[in-house]
Amino acid sequence: MKEEIKVLSGIMMGDSLFDERNWNIGLSHNPDVIVAQGTSSDTGPAYLATGTLYGGSLGIKRGLRAILLSAKGRGIPFIISTGPPAGANQQLEKVLGWVDELAKEANLKLRIAVISGELDKDYLKRKMRRGSRIRRLVDIDRLPEYLSEEDIDHSEHIVGQMGPEPIMKALDLDVDGVITGRALDIALHMAVPLRAGFDKGLAAHMAKTIECASLVTVPETSDAVLAVLRKDHFLVSPTNPDSKCTPVSVAAHAFYERPDPNRELNPGGVLDLSGAKYEPYDERTVKVSGSRWVPAPYAVKIEGARKVGFRTISILGIRDKRMIGQIDWCLEQARKHVEAHLQPLRPGVDYHLLYRVYGKNGVLGEAEPLKQTESHELGLIVEAIAPQEEVSENVCELAGRKLLHMDYPGRIATAANVAHPYSPTANNLGPVYRWSIWHLLELEDPCEPFRIEVRRFG
Amino acid sequence: MKLHELATVLRSKSAGPFLNTIDIFLETEETYRRVRDSGILTKDLVARLYHIRPEEVLGIFFVDEARGIKITVPKPNGVASGDPDCRDIYGAQYYIPLLDIEIP
Repeated sequence: MKEEIKVLSGIMMGDSLFDERNWNIGLSHNPDVIVAQGTSSDTGPAYLATGTLYGGSLGIKRGLRAILLSAKGRGIPFIISTGPPAGANQQLEKVLGWVDELAKEANLKLRIAVISGELDKDYLKRKMRRGSRIRRLVDIDRLPEYLSEEDIDHSEHIVGQMGPEPIMKALDLDVDGVITGRALDIALHMAVPLRAGFDKGLAAHMAKTIECASLVTVPETSDAVLAVLRKDHFLVSPTNPDSKCTPVSVAAHAFYERPDPNRELNPGGVLDLSGAKYEPYDERTVKVSGSRWVPAPYAVKIEGARKVGFRTISILGIRDKRMIGQIDWCLEQARKHVEAHLQPLRPGVDYHLLYRVYGKNGVLGEAEPLKQTESHELGLIVEAIAPQEEVSENVCELAGRKLLHMDYPGRIATAANVAHPYSPTANNLGPVYRWSIWHLLELEDPCEPFRIEVRRFG
Repeated sequence: MKLHELATVLRSKSAGPFLNTIDIFLETEETYRRVRDSGILTKDLVARLYHIRPEEVLGIFFVDEARGIKITVPKPNGVASGDPDCRDIYGAQYYIPLLDIEIP
């Protein structure tokens, strides 16, 4: 068995510079694998539903170029998750198109294992008919406790966060690297260590530590980080020579975007960090040990998004303190105006009128501790959501127009009340979605839902 | 002293689309223990600040190795990230009400 595995970890969300000097510092350590994760559900359900890419094509291409050229040039395997952020097939294929262009430009011939992260709806229905009960991951009312076929039909696309197993299988196929769609972020970094027989708890904790790259370094930059995994510990350090890892910066990363800092449910096990120890190894490197993997039934998280209607917004600036001082009353008058005009359409059922009052409580709503605004100006978004597109447009325009012309006590400016920055003054933003599937798919075979295909590029 | 004066990091983020998680990191063992042992950061406080019931607070965790405290709550009003009524897709500004909490 190898003594150690070195993993060079970057991020492929489009905002990493892949600074040449620091990237080369990372490469100079002769990593066994280059990994970059680039899918996320944090940006909301619209990306999954519409197939839109996020992060900027230029940044993603920059990342691809850095990784593919250096990996192929040095014979280092690479593992990338992409199609940001949702990782469905439409987005993945777009990025694979860029991979092909890049390979041709650079005169590279690449054999890459492509693993789709999108789940076939018929596959899911077949599993359900054979007895699979797909339970929600979070116990809240708006998620069905168990998925129904109707839930599957109503989601535009469904993706699943594959574990390391499909990637490990792909690495057996004599390829230059692996590119996946939606995947569990730590799966990418765990694959090579697990294949080489390293401890699962350490491998998972290492993966978790480096999956956001320089977020564990001080100061944070957009560079890659390097991890060295050994039998009973791992080391982590930045590639940027002006940054360092500290025991606290590494320990703190277990907190990032996780509900529980000590325990995290993953496919096949719980990563238990309650006994983890973080020690300085040198001035910039931290040594971590004590991470444990507690076996649990194998299940992957699946994600789906459902259309709920259409959204039209109007952005208005308000600068007169006389109106600002009575803004709640004014907004209520506009609401009543809409209701009177649109009846028998019912507010809350056939349409939903929402105000976002920036300068007052637009960000925090009722959690806003400051109950009285002192702002000299307000940024107001009038927002209408409705199952019917035409209704959303009408609601928004009616409310906006009322605010523009309404009389209010003490008004001195009788021409118009609000500053519209844009023409058109009401903007149809198109369909709106919500997360509708956030469930656990239990699997006997971790690779079953995820199709692996070897493709040539360049 | 207010929590923001003692903390080196006070941040919030989504933990999945249905939960917000707030992290507090303290610079020294002394300040960490002061906050941890003050008895101020309770489910009742969190419930009051965020207009939820104490039993809805998913957890308040104290991690000594990180000198860190984590508070996890459901996103407000059952509104998930990206839902039409969502105010803050990333849960990025949810920590604000904790900034001025007095720690003896």
